[in-house]
Amino acid sequence: MTVLRYREAVRAAMIEEMERDERVYLVGEEVGHYQGAYKVTEGMLDKFGSRRVIDAPITESGFTGISIGAAMVGLRPIVEYMTWNFSAVAFDQILNNAAKLRQMSGGQLTIPLVLRAPNGSARQVGSQHSHSMEHFYAHIPGLKVLAPAMPADAKGLLKSAIRDDNPVLFMESETLYGVKGEVPDDPDFIVPLGVASIVREGTDVSIIAWSRMVHVALEAAAELEKEGISAEIVDLRSLRPLDEETVVRSVTKTHRAVVAHEGWPYGGVGAEVADRIQRLAFDELDAPVLRATTLDVPMPYNARLEQYVIPQAARIIENVHRVLYKS
Amino acid sequence: MAKVLELPKLSPTMEEGQISAWHKKEGDTIDIDDLLADVETDKATMEYKSFDRGTLLKILVPPGSVVQLGQPVAIIGNPGEDISALAGGSGGGAPAPQPSAAEAQPKGDRAAQPAGGAAPSGEAPATTAPPAARGDAVSPPTQPAAPQPSSDGRVKASPYVRKLGRERGLDLTSVAGTGPRGRIVARDLEGLKPAPTAAAAAPAAPGELAAPEVRPLSMMRKAIARRLTESKQTVPHFYLSIDVDADPLNALREQINADLAATAAEGEKPPKISFNDLLVKACAIALVRVPECNAQFTSDAILIHRRVDISVAVAVPEGLVTPVVRDVDRKQVLDIAAEVRELAGRAKAKKLRPEEMANGTFSISNLGMYGIDNFGAVINPPEGAILAVGQVRREPVVRGEQVVPGRRWGLTLSCDPRVVAGAVGATFLKVLRQLLEHPTQILIG
Repeated sequence: MTVLRYREAVRAAMIEEMERDERVYLVGEEVGHYQGAYKVTEGMLDKFGSRRVIDAPITESGFTGISIGAAMVGLRPIVEYMTWNFSAVAFDQILNNAAKLRQMSGGQLTIPLVLRAPNGSARQVGSQHSHSMEHFYAHIPGLKVLAPAMPADAKGLLKSAIRDDNPVLFMESETLYGVKGEVPDDPDFIVPLGVASIVREGTDVSIIAWSRMVHVALEAAAELEKEGISAEIVDLRSLRPLDEETVVRSVTKTHRAVVAHEGWPYGGVGAEVADRIQRLAFDELDAPVLRATTLDVPMPYNARLEQYVIPQAARIIENVHRVLYKS
Repeated sequence: MAKVLELPKLSPTMEEGQISAWHKKEGDTIDIDDLLADVETDKATMEYKSFDRGTLLKILVPPGSVVQLGQPVAIIGNPGEDISALAGGSGGGAPAPQPSAAEAQPKGDRAAQPAGGAAPSGEAPATTAPPAARGDAVSPPTQPAAPQPSSDGRVKASPYVRKLGRERGLDLTSVAGTGPRGRIVARDLEGLKPAPTAAAAAPAAPGELAAPEVRPLSMMRKAIARRLTESKQTVPHFYLSIDVDADPLNALREQINADLAATAAEGEKPPKISFNDLLVKACAIALVRVPECNAQFTSDAILIHRRVDISVAVAVPEGLVTPVVRDVDRKQVLDIAAEVRELAGRAKAKKLRPEEMANGTFSISNLGMYGIDNFGAVINPPEGAILAVGQVRREPVVRGEQVVPGRRWGLTLSCDPRVVAGAVGATFLKVLRQLLEHPTQILIG
């Protein structure tokens, strides 16, 4: 075990997989000479050279499409966007090529492609740069979507993603890059896709979260404990495929569920989780499933308004009180 | 503009209250701070004073009703104002909590009540009505009283409650729902027994057994029941008994009382001190010397209190209350005596404020006046120990080689061994015995 920051865990996963398999390469804006917009790829150009660590022009649609083509003919590209917000200009490539070609070719083509970038709100980057894009992409059959909260999961899941023969979208977070945690050194350590983890045991309510919101949920759980409320936290880690078994097991124990995520509530992944719970654990529910999400507005730039719009621990606590009929 | 008055929180732990009396009647003019009603909470009878001024247009709940926090109790406004919208128009509107079970039941029917009947058993709190669903934007302003199925015959219950009902054979129609719009939620099933089946009810044929007298639980009884069960089920109890020589203490007490009588001003009733007053002070000194006994268990840590606040159990007709004498270690015996008497007097009149019964660090319970020699008391959570005090017994004692008349006093410490280990409790009792058997130390602290 080594204590690594989240960004170092992501880097370690890429380096190990590039050393393991020469078909893996990295492309993106500023990944090489600038050492990464958020220093995730620091040192990788020196290590692997410019044929495998490629600085792309500002043409997300172009380098995404080229990488899909490369994947079709046998390479295993890792595409880094500066943030997931900029994947919007590559959306057609992701939706219509990456997600579809395996099925449309009757299985003759596979797309072993990883798309990765920071996701969600940062600090005052404005409404056009604060999107939580997992909700858009998890909607699409043919894609896999991961959003780990912890450095060890980031490493283990990214390695699984690179080894997967399908397009996998990997959601990081600007505000998580500095988070430290113990990370296994074993190059064979992987975390399988589609398996959630219980990051905190509890008996009164299940808080289901992913990415940065797992940390906010932990903060909320510590506050709730002072009131004598025992919250269990399920870190989904993988949004598609979704580990409904772990979620149902937790709700069967606690009988109450709050889904906490960044991004808008309407039709989001939280709504999907709520659907699974009401469908698979109907008889276990003592209260409706509630969601603590970003408010249903474009992100304000004003710092205070931004913090108001983003879900904080207080919003999770408020929803926990409601499912416990304490408000 | 008429306004619905909702039952406010009158004590920190209050969740429901029983309106014991209305001091205003419909049509009366109300000013701010006017006494509207007496409300019996889990701790005491509190005065419910008005926050508004206007005319009392309608009383929504009769005296004797148990009302949830936030539930409408009255409407005030301008004289003659139309309140049909607020009162629920067609009459089905404002929640109509029933009077407590005894009053609801026609008196003549009591003896005929079959023993297995669903009515007042004390198990099913059939008198509670749902709280108003505050902040629930879609809830209508009024809601049906919970115990009955709603007008369409449906019982509203969470899916989990329905599952539990099926598994345990519960009759949900008799359960009061406390969730939004009277929904029965898991907490409402606590303590509920399965519905009696026809076969089970059959042996108790009406007429063969006289029906018991039904005494509905007062708020205080409910609170006592909850607290005692919580204590005995969650706090391990460990008992240590001593029997002390009370002759020196008796001599000192008589001396003090004689001196107080001799020096009292003309026509003034001299104060008196009791064995118990001296014991309270002795305990405070012993707690300062053995602070581990003045402690509280939490899941993360043991809290050793830096204050000596002793709860003194006082029997009242409704049960038992424990007013707290604060900072006993820093008070004189005479002051402690006066304070205990004053608190006990107000306890019997149910005039203690909730905060006067909270946050003690140690308890003393004395049943000596009932002729009890020894008993083990139930710890008063979150405190770590309680001292049970018997009567001072006149009996033959051995002094030197002589059997002489003497006085003995039985004291039993119940301790929570998670904080007060057996040896710590024993040390406390050893110090206490030394103080009581050499009692001038109690005076000089």
